[in-house]
Amino acid sequence: MTQPRYFRAARMTAASLAVGAMLLTGCTANVAKTGTSDAGANASAFLTIPREDMGTFVQNFNPFAPTVNPMVQQSIYESLLIFNPAKGDTVPWLATEWKAAEDGKSVTFTLRDGVKWSDGQPFVADDVAYTFELQKKIKGGFEYLDTVTAEGNKVTFTFNKPWSPALYDVGQLSILPKHIWSALPDPEKDANAKPVGTGPYTEVDTFQAQSFVLKKNPNYWQPGKQKIAGIKMLAFAGNDGANLAAANGDVDWAPQYIPNIEKTFVSKDKEHRQYWFPATGAMINWQLNTTKAPFNDVDVRKALSMAVDRDQVTKIGMSGYAKPADCTGLSGNYETWKNAAVKDNCTWTNHDVQKANELLDKAGYPKGADGKRTFKDGKPFEFKISVGATSSDWLSVANVIAQNLAEVGVTAKVESPDWAAVVAGYETGDFDSGIVWSANDPSPYKYFNTSMGTATVKPVGTKTFDNYHRFGDTKADALLSDFAAEADESKQKDIANKLQEEYNDVAPLVPLFSGPEWGAFNDTRFTGWPTEDNPYATLSVRSPTTVLVLTTLEPRK
Amino acid sequence: MRFILRRLGFYLIAFWASITLNFMLPRFMPGDPVSRMFARSQDRMQPEQIEALRKLLGVDDRPMWEQYIDYMHNIFTGQMGVSISRFPTPVTEVISSQIGWTLLLGGTALVIAAVVGNLLGILAAWRRGGAIDSALPPVLVFIGSFPYFWLAMGALYLFGVVLGWFPIRHAFTDGLEPAFTWEFIGDVGAHLVLPALTIVLVSIGGWMLGMRNTMIATNSEDYITMAEAKGLRPGRIMLRYAARNAMLPSVTSFGMGLGFVVGGALLTEVVFAYPGVGYQLLNAVQGLDYPLMQGLFLTITAAVLLANFLVDILYVRLDPRVRSN
Repeated sequence: MTQPRYFRAARMTAASLAVGAMLLTGCTANVAKTGTSDAGANASAFLTIPREDMGTFVQNFNPFAPTVNPMVQQSIYESLLIFNPAKGDTVPWLATEWKAAEDGKSVTFTLRDGVKWSDGQPFVADDVAYTFELQKKIKGGFEYLDTVTAEGNKVTFTFNKPWSPALYDVGQLSILPKHIWSALPDPEKDANAKPVGTGPYTEVDTFQAQSFVLKKNPNYWQPGKQKIAGIKMLAFAGNDGANLAAANGDVDWAPQYIPNIEKTFVSKDKEHRQYWFPATGAMINWQLNTTKAPFNDVDVRKALSMAVDRDQVTKIGMSGYAKPADCTGLSGNYETWKNAAVKDNCTWTNHDVQKANELLDKAGYPKGADGKRTFKDGKPFEFKISVGATSSDWLSVANVIAQNLAEVGVTAKVESPDWAAVVAGYETGDFDSGIVWSANDPSPYKYFNTSMGTATVKPVGTKTFDNYHRFGDTKADALLSDFAAEADESKQKDIANKLQEEYNDVAPLVPLFSGPEWGAFNDTRFTGWPTEDNPYATLSVRSPTTVLVLTTLEPRK
Repeated sequence: MRFILRRLGFYLIAFWASITLNFMLPRFMPGDPVSRMFARSQDRMQPEQIEALRKLLGVDDRPMWEQYIDYMHNIFTGQMGVSISRFPTPVTEVISSQIGWTLLLGGTALVIAAVVGNLLGILAAWRRGGAIDSALPPVLVFIGSFPYFWLAMGALYLFGVVLGWFPIRHAFTDGLEPAFTWEFIGDVGAHLVLPALTIVLVSIGGWMLGMRNTMIATNSEDYITMAEAKGLRPGRIMLRYAARNAMLPSVTSFGMGLGFVVGGALLTEVVFAYPGVGYQLLNAVQGLDYPLMQGLFLTITAAVLLANFLVDILYVRLDPRVRSN
């Protein structure tokens, strides 16, 4: 009898694997490390950026894709203007100027001369008009937009009502080339594998599931600002891998959340590594379901807010990177809009246990002999705070709040299923309270509209996608419609001041802290990064300001 | 032959049951993909766009049975639809562009762990109480009981970051064009070492112990004593008489393991940023991407069932008792 075949095969496999393993270990000696400071190498190096939430890339550069590939809306397509929240200013981009009509019902943009698409075709007003037509057809939105008319180098947007928030809304949409997109039979489903755009880096090169490169647009309108050879994106299946790459010096830009950044990132190379977390993100709120008692009582909302120690919340929950909220409810993104009087005389967002106790006593929720409060029907004052299980930072925020509340005799239980379940509860109104983000726009209109405008309030059971806490205030409504109709910014600011007073009175939700915009960089190879002293953009790689960084950086000489 | 046909019938029913479950499970999960996407994008998506998106993605409110019929029809015509989280890329394209890496990583690790583990098990049982038998099992079980994530991170840090022996991410050096050259194959191999090694480390103990224990039982059988009495060479008795009969459970495990390779080693892919399907599956579940989830589950189910069927056929050859039944 001969030896069984499977056994012989197994032995051969084992032998060849052993040889293979030896070969492999020999091979690894020449794995090169990046991060040199050689001027010649820097000039031809690619700006390397990790993407921490895409394990793999698919060659799809369609801006209508819900999870769009990185840099499609930052480096390939550009918008008419760019709002920079770090400085609060607006940079003209594909448009050189714009003018709102007296009646607030239209705005006219003048397009920049000499802009070309990366295939050499001229950029024209018709491209802008077509983009909005396509956007409305595929993605919807822009309900206020009546018509978009192109005339010479001017584009006029006409609204069906006076609508000043439109400027940034239309101004920051990525413009697509009509001559390419109008030829596609199914634009929303096209992979757009070889995109044509006006941006600085448009040419897709060496595309693989784990990385891809964008090279220079040969027809860019500011050729003097394309100082980098190209952008290389790396795919990572989570923060850990991306953080390791950043710590190891393999990437130039690290826009993801890095815990304990001083130690894990900066300390490895103090000379070249920096981080900057401006408070320009959305306001993060603790939202109470105001359709339920006792959250429908403003005194209870204010009392609970006073029980929260925001210094502790930002220090423990957010590693000290976030800024505590004040009574205007506005995040650092709206620094220039804040009503100084409301901010300076703030009461209910300051930590004040005694006052919180007094307010709760007054509202009729007495403390029992065991130090715990009860509802009016005698049941214990207990409710849930829901947060998605994957948001570890917000989970610790909720836990700090629960501890704070215990000091005033209120029991909060932190509930953390998957985000899908949490959000399903928010959307239908089936929740007690939760940690929720808020709208973040150049103007504070949307923030106030979704936190206290009655138009955004839906009855419990009907799905809503904003105003989860379901709070509406008719006084705010009047101010909001005045704001929308006002084109003059100084007058808008007067109305915004009144909105903040109203917000301060009714406390629609409990603002916690301004979300930080994460960002860190390593200037070994490229210089010219935005910093706190030179805030020409934030360090985000997903916002409209990203293109400002891409056109400022240059290789280190 | 009748045995094989009977098994085939059983697998067909199992396949139907699993694809039906595959249809139902994601639909029982709370929330829907569009609101999930909205929550993830936080303030970056307009609420007005949600209805349009819902229509675009075909998240439908049709009755379940209609969706079910459609679903069955699509499966048998090979249309798995369009991935929601990677819209508008077809599910088949998402899976096919990445499954090769998963198969390479999982397959290599499985073969090494099974072959080396079984050989060690055979040796340990044969020299019972010897050096291999007393030292290796506790060590391997100790390593195997480490949380995988921790072990992988540790290996990555030590061998990748501190010592710099192996690359720390991806399946090959970024920017290299895939090609059948020694340079590229060597590069892929170098990138494979750490992820494969960590999987082998945690799984090898199981293979070794399983083999050792069945070998010990086999060794006490009369035919082994008989073979020894006849004066056959010990090596021949060990491999041909004892190990061959003790192999059966290992063959089953190998078949199962082969099926599960398709699902990907999720944690490995996350730690080493390996471009396989495991992480894609996690993403699909988190994003409630029904079509991608279903496509992946279907691939995994089919692979597991197919591997088991092959093991069944192999059993007919290996184990005469199966034939006589």
